[in-house]
Amino acid sequence: MSAMDVMIHSSSFLLPCDETSTGTRYALVVLNQSLPRFTPLLWEHAKLRLCADGGANRIYDELPLFFPNEDALAIRNRSNFLKLYKPDVIKGDMDSIRRDVLDFYINLGTKVIDESHDQDTTDLDKCILYIRHSTLNQETSGLQILATGALGGRFDHEAGNLNVLYRYPDTRIVLLSDDCLIQLLPKTHRHEIHIQSSLEGPHCGLIPIGTPSAKTTTSGLQWDLSNTEMRFGGLISTSNLVKEEKITVESDSDLLWTISIKKTGLSIQDHTP
Amino acid sequence: MNLFFFITHILCRTAKLRLCADGGANRIYDELPLFFPHEDPFVIRNRYKPDVIKGDMDSIRRDVLDFYVYWGTKVIDESHDQDTTDLDKCISYIRHSTLNQESSRILATGALGGRFDHEAGNLNVLYRYPDTRIVLLSDDCLIQLLPKTHRHEIHIHSSLQGPHCGLIPIGTPSANTTTSGLKWDLSNTEMRFGGLISTSNLVKEEIITVESDSDLLWTISIKKTGLPVQDHKP
Repeated sequence: MSAMDVMIHSSSFLLPCDETSTGTRYALVVLNQSLPRFTPLLWEHAKLRLCADGGANRIYDELPLFFPNEDALAIRNRSNFLKLYKPDVIKGDMDSIRRDVLDFYINLGTKVIDESHDQDTTDLDKCILYIRHSTLNQETSGLQILATGALGGRFDHEAGNLNVLYRYPDTRIVLLSDDCLIQLLPKTHRHEIHIQSSLEGPHCGLIPIGTPSAKTTTSGLQWDLSNTEMRFGGLISTSNLVKEEKITVESDSDLLWTISIKKTGLSIQDHTP
Repeated sequence: MNLFFFITHILCRTAKLRLCADGGANRIYDELPLFFPHEDPFVIRNRYKPDVIKGDMDSIRRDVLDFYVYWGTKVIDESHDQDTTDLDKCISYIRHSTLNQESSRILATGALGGRFDHEAGNLNVLYRYPDTRIVLLSDDCLIQLLPKTHRHEIHIHSSLQGPHCGLIPIGTPSANTTTSGLKWDLSNTEMRFGGLISTSNLVKEEIITVESDSDLLWTISIKKTGLPVQDHKP
């Protein structure tokens, strides 16, 4: 019945490297909240790595903590360790990054783009613009963008970051935390979401942020929707469960898809030989 | 969600009714004694005992449940009801309780962060009970609904909150919203996801006014100083 193109989604970026020989090409943006436990995995496979302002503090302070067996706390070794995890770019309004962190990465050759004159866009916005204009993005069919640290903390920050998904509907952006991921399902497409059940689920939801949905239809969920209306003030699909390995979603409205990330299977210890 | 010091100390003392939604009881049991490191945990747990524990009971620990049952907390097991969230169930209880009056407010901690579908479900509770004053609180901020049916005056306690704030049209776009008292006021301004929403705004005056054609979420940051337990001990 529907003549819409299908958009296929998969969290293959959460898979360890030997399973992603033809994996998704993505850029990683690190924002200023505690790093999720799978950050080293995402970092290693990213084609481009950006820190949004204080996100650089998080890499500097917290990344060594994921490798307790390395002698990462001794200053000299810590330096050597951090060199392995050097961001390509630090961009933002620079009101959160520490001076010592900034100096460290400048010395390593990280490109620093100070946008403190621009108070109209969020740090995540600024990073997305950089990625969209980068030559890497032009050369490929477009990089997916993974962002950590966009959720939690101040709610106005979180809302601003969710709004970024709505403002760039043609760019695949995934917001990630320790507990879940969020991505936009634009109304212009039918969606197929392939579930990596060892890594994500079963808890999921479809959230009509921004505008109500007059009709949404799904398959593969415990509580599927069938031309169902969803709106804040009424029904929204939360605490749902994935039942099948493939979920389909079709809606008259842009929706946020969210799925929980499992607590096991993604920490460093699971991948050290 | 992680509990935070000031709310539990101040609000546990002044609240007229104290509920734990399911695993919220684990938090009170485990984390409240940590705010009083020099006191006996048993004494603290007794002093900060909930009146009611309600929810689907899939998170509360057995030892925690037994402790509070023994000490007289009313436990309402709603595990048969999978259609409403734990926050929902607690709000229904409060609305039906004899203590509920028009001037009452419901303060909820732990509704934000964690799984996003949980957070969205909790935000939806604000929209589903627009005639009940509900405030969601975390270490970083508070959120409340400003129903479109009213003009709003928000009195800012600047020693405790701000300056960062926002107005978020979560459910429906707003064709025109007007404010006063903010750094970047709105003047019959349109707000929508996909376009402009008011985030990283700043409170400038002690009274903020908001009028809108749409239900909005008001959010303001909570200051990091001035609120821990130590600040209030005599």
